[in-house]
Amino acid sequence: MSQSTSPSREKRPDRALGAGHDDFWAWCGKGELRLQHCADCGKITWPVALACEYCGHTSFDWKRMSGRGKIVSWCSFERDYYAGLLPIPWMTILVELEEGPLFISNPVDITEQDIRFGMPVAVEFIACEDSAGGFSLPVFRAA
Amino acid sequence: MSDYKNAGMPPPSREFSRKAAIVGVGETDYYLDYKAERAKAPGYEPPTTEGLVLTAFERALAESGLERGDIDGLSTSFTYGGPEPEALAQMLGIKPRYSIQNGNIMAGPLPIACAAIAAGKCDTMVMVYSVASRAIGRQYGGSTYAGAAGAGAPSSYYYYLPWGWSSQAAHWALMFRYYQATYGATEADLGAVALQLRQNASINPNAVMQTPLTLQQYLDSRYIVRPLHLFDLCVVNDGAVCLIVRRADMARDLPHKPVLVAGWGEAKVKNDKMHTMVRERLRPIMQDAGGQALAMAGMDLAEIQHFEGYDASSIHLINQIEGFGFVEPGAGLKFCQEGNMAVGGKLPVNTSGGNLSGSYMHGWSQIVEVVRQLRHEAGPRQIAGIQASMSALVQTDQAHPIIFTRGE
Ligand SMILES: [Zn+2]
Repeated sequence: MSQSTSPSREKRPDRALGAGHDDFWAWCGKGELRLQHCADCGKITWPVALACEYCGHTSFDWKRMSGRGKIVSWCSFERDYYAGLLPIPWMTILVELEEGPLFISNPVDITEQDIRFGMPVAVEFIACEDSAGGFSLPVFRAA
Repeated sequence: MSDYKNAGMPPPSREFSRKAAIVGVGETDYYLDYKAERAKAPGYEPPTTEGLVLTAFERALAESGLERGDIDGLSTSFTYGGPEPEALAQMLGIKPRYSIQNGNIMAGPLPIACAAIAAGKCDTMVMVYSVASRAIGRQYGGSTYAGAAGAGAPSSYYYYLPWGWSSQAAHWALMFRYYQATYGATEADLGAVALQLRQNASINPNAVMQTPLTLQQYLDSRYIVRPLHLFDLCVVNDGAVCLIVRRADMARDLPHKPVLVAGWGEAKVKNDKMHTMVRERLRPIMQDAGGQALAMAGMDLAEIQHFEGYDASSIHLINQIEGFGFVEPGAGLKFCQEGNMAVGGKLPVNTSGGNLSGSYMHGWSQIVEVVRQLRHEAGPRQIAGIQASMSALVQTDQAHPIIFTRGE
């Protein structure tokens, strides 16, 4: 559980942790967006899974993504689902990474007015905290 | 009493087609129960699963013309838990020789019951479904819901919690935003779906929401997950549904026309879930499962005269109209705006008001409406001369269509 709260960290709902997930977050902690790359068929599985979603193979390497992508959809939560933890409205985006996977994330400095379909974006990491402690969260800024 | 738990879907094979018929349907008082829950008069007690099930069962049995002693099968489906089959059988006063504890949503239970009847495990099965969502104070979304819902629940957003992702509604919101970008649709265009279903509900005295809705009211309503408004999302209400399913050759000479279960299909998203959901709006699995159901029924899509889709959201009903091939991708909202989804239109859809305005019974109330339409007993909302309907339970990763025909 978390010790003291650092004011510079954003509080977030809890991550999924455990096998595979821990590796993903550890790479994020190093400022690298890496996803599971199947050692057999070469495809990328996201979100984290125990087996390749295409061929079922269970050994992966963690392939580094360029961090570049484009926005393919977005939505804003106008209702408080997290008991005041996050400000409302809360915007989430769906980014198509250059390597293909679709990645749910948050925009940085992109408003409902600015955002547009196909907008190029690039990853960055922000300091966050959940009940398991501090972590780095990949988010996207207009590129 | 033999017992069958967590059964898988039987294959959509011709040998099961039209071997079982629905001969009785019962529903609880969705409208009155919802009103009472909202009013919370002094002494109000939320309904229990048992009480709701008993009401639906008594109604289905009464209209079926059968006696308790005719019932030899039982299927139970509960969204938030309910009695074990033995205890329920005792409560209902029946002695089934075969029982199934089925999944809660209408994605499997009816085909499983039909296959059991075809296999001779029983001749007449009572299927009960109940949800008492308001009684436990549930809302859609948030981490508590994802955590409490457990396996098999729509927990696909669970992984995205650290990005503040929540709620099933967000899936539909992402789909509609993509639809807007692809086809140039506006929020007012989407509003046509909520308006149509409210119009359908307005001639169904048991619909939860019957007051007519204007486009301006729709546009002025609050967003839940932008770009979706309040009226783009299903109602949440308590209730129960009972279906009595009987061997087709024993289903004649009863008070109502039997409604035959002619075909079904099942397809799931295996990979590229987000892509399939947002960019293809699940069309590949609907094409697959819809094709299976039509082949099993020995029918063409053009023979389907009525569709009861799973309108968890307005846009998702359009996904199904397009995905099963009733109209081309991108043509669904115009189809709705032109009145084609109304009774009297080219393809009447969700004629009792659907999940948006009628009742949210996880796909079960759609089956009841199919039965009423195919019996030609739907009153002011009857589709003239109808012979075949399709229902579908389509979630973010699976499609379960069923085809029904009017029996002799
Ligand atoms: Zn693979």
